[in-house]
Amino acid sequence: MVDVATTLEIAQASQAGMSAVGAGLAVGLTGVGTGIAEMGIGAAAVGATAENRDMFGLALLFTVIPETIVIFGLVVALLLLF
Amino acid sequence: MLRPERMRRLLIAAPKSEIDTIVRELYRYNVYHIEDFVPESESPEGLSIGHPLSGASDAASALIKVRAIENACGIDPENVEIKERLPVSKVREMIRTDLPAIQKEAEDLVGSRSRLETRQKEHEQRARELEPFTAVPLDLEFYRGYTRFTVFTGHIPHDVEIGVPNEKYFSDRVAGNMIVVVVQNEHREEVERTLLDAGFQAIPVPEETGAPADRLKAHLEEAQRIESEIAAINGKVAGIREKRTDFLVACDELLTADVERAEAPLRFATTEETFITEGWVPEDRADRIRDTLEKATGGRIYIEELEIDDDTAVPVEYENPVFAKPSQVLMDVYARPRYSEIDPTLLLAIVFPIFFGMILGDVGYGTVLLLLSLGLRKFLKGEGGRMLLNVLSIASISSIIFGILYSEFLGFSLPWPALIFSRHLNIGGAAGGHGPQVVELMILAIWIGILHITLGRILGVLNARKLYHGKHVTQAILSHIGWLGVMWGILLLIWSFFPIPMMPDLTGLPVVAMGFNVSAVAGIVLLVAGVIGIAQENALEVVELPTIISHVLSYARLVAVGLSSVAIAMVVNYISIGMLIEPQLAAITPVGVIIIIAGILVFLLGHVLNTALGLLGGGLHSIRLHYVEFFTKFYKGGGIKYNPFGMKSKFTEE
Repeated sequence: MVDVATTLEIAQASQAGMSAVGAGLAVGLTGVGTGIAEMGIGAAAVGATAENRDMFGLALLFTVIPETIVIFGLVVALLLLF
Repeated sequence: MLRPERMRRLLIAAPKSEIDTIVRELYRYNVYHIEDFVPESESPEGLSIGHPLSGASDAASALIKVRAIENACGIDPENVEIKERLPVSKVREMIRTDLPAIQKEAEDLVGSRSRLETRQKEHEQRARELEPFTAVPLDLEFYRGYTRFTVFTGHIPHDVEIGVPNEKYFSDRVAGNMIVVVVQNEHREEVERTLLDAGFQAIPVPEETGAPADRLKAHLEEAQRIESEIAAINGKVAGIREKRTDFLVACDELLTADVERAEAPLRFATTEETFITEGWVPEDRADRIRDTLEKATGGRIYIEELEIDDDTAVPVEYENPVFAKPSQVLMDVYARPRYSEIDPTLLLAIVFPIFFGMILGDVGYGTVLLLLSLGLRKFLKGEGGRMLLNVLSIASISSIIFGILYSEFLGFSLPWPALIFSRHLNIGGAAGGHGPQVVELMILAIWIGILHITLGRILGVLNARKLYHGKHVTQAILSHIGWLGVMWGILLLIWSFFPIPMMPDLTGLPVVAMGFNVSAVAGIVLLVAGVIGIAQENALEVVELPTIISHVLSYARLVAVGLSSVAIAMVVNYISIGMLIEPQLAAITPVGVIIIIAGILVFLLGHVLNTALGLLGGGLHSIRLHYVEFFTKFYKGGGIKYNPFGMKSKFTEE
């Protein structure tokens, strides 16, 4: 015989767990997305820098542009957790 | 401030007899940016490029020698500390007397070093070739000189049986195994096939005599001996560097100046008897240079000030207060401003450290980075590097200030609660107070984003008035206002439906129609008007509308990146102190001491890593917010660097 209070407690706990899972997925999947996006840019940036050292600053900058995706993931995760 | 230094365009014409004086004066003043003369089909008849002054080729060849010596000794004038300035006359004298001797010495040393290196390589190569033969107890002369026998030597994956009469030796003592087979000439092809089937790889017998092991040892010893000879030569080269650096960099500077001066006429237009040059001078120094030239030539010169008709041709020099100067290096990474547009260096210099501090607000990390930026000054002597270090110093001071406000020290909290929003996460159950105020911080970051972008658009309006002409000005201004309208329209709409902490709550306003209240209607009007404003300049721009939201949200990184760095710091502290050190301190055992040392290592390593990440995260994300989110709203860039004819002498003096 399960009383209502316990059921409620279980539901709340699983809710908290689910939001933690969601936060993890948000950061993880966006991280993968950022990685895939930076893959091409990074390769091209390294090539450009090898050709011309002056490109380094711009190349680094281009490489971090897709970081926005994982930042959004992080924001969503933080909002889920707090 | 907020705009590049004002320039004047000068045209100088004078008889060729004065060219030497004029070039010398211009070079000494170091303010005249020469516009190179390019002969084109429409340029007037009779104008041609000038010839170098006398002495150009001598100076150039001497300069090449000096550079060669510098190269050989590994001297980089950029990174040489200025000890004393040598007088020009003394340097000239020494170029005549000392330079040939130094050159010969350096050349000899470098020459013999490269000869020795070649010989060393040869010996090492021989030793490598001999190595497999050390596995076979046979002197090298016995491998060759037979008329009726064939000798196979080489690597083989495993031993093989050979079906004909033979003499065979197999050894697995060396990498790839070694096999030696001697057969009569008539069986040669058959044996070769058998061996090849077994994966045989022939290696030639070295052209030497005696026991392979002895020869190998001899070669290695010889290589070793040459190594020490090279080291001795390197010592001598270092000696030259030690003694002669001051003289060599002074020579380099003096001769570079000579060459530049002598080659200046190549950038002028000349006729039979006269020369003409166009160039740029900063406004405040234009009159002085004019007077000087007139005095120096005794009035045999014609100087005219020309109209500035095309702002893309004007060289651009920054004009900023001292504290903002280091940020110019960050501007140059993106693009130098155009002459007539707003120069945002000052804004960058103020906002960048604030962003950096918001992300990496930690007294500990700030102090480490401040010390690092001060310490690296010893090693980075180039101008660009110095400026970057200055930027880092300012940013780390801001980081310390924000650390005090956030009450953070290497992830621990300082003795007071956070003075602004707290970032203390609850890791290892250590958090006191009211825990992290993530939502508040996030909204603060969004507010910063909204204001920063609004500022960018306002600057865009101001820039449009300076950069464009005629109808295009109105179009560009309307489009900037349109972007602002859409952004604020969306904000009004959101505020009218959802109450958000720390933002205006407009949900309670009287409803006008269909559930939309006053602010919602105002928002919709702004949004629609904004879209029309954007579309009237370029309808395709409407595709870019979603960037309004993504750019504003992008400022959330100010909090997100910072929180992740706080989290790493706290986790490092928890693992090293909470899990490793503290439990052991209760009762110290020998094993416990090792665990404590491991804990300290984890602590140091973790924080070093986090400092590096913080520097990268804080710096890159702050600058990126400027480049991608802020500059795209108003900044064109693409100005030519102001590069005056002349040199600031570092190592010599008149």
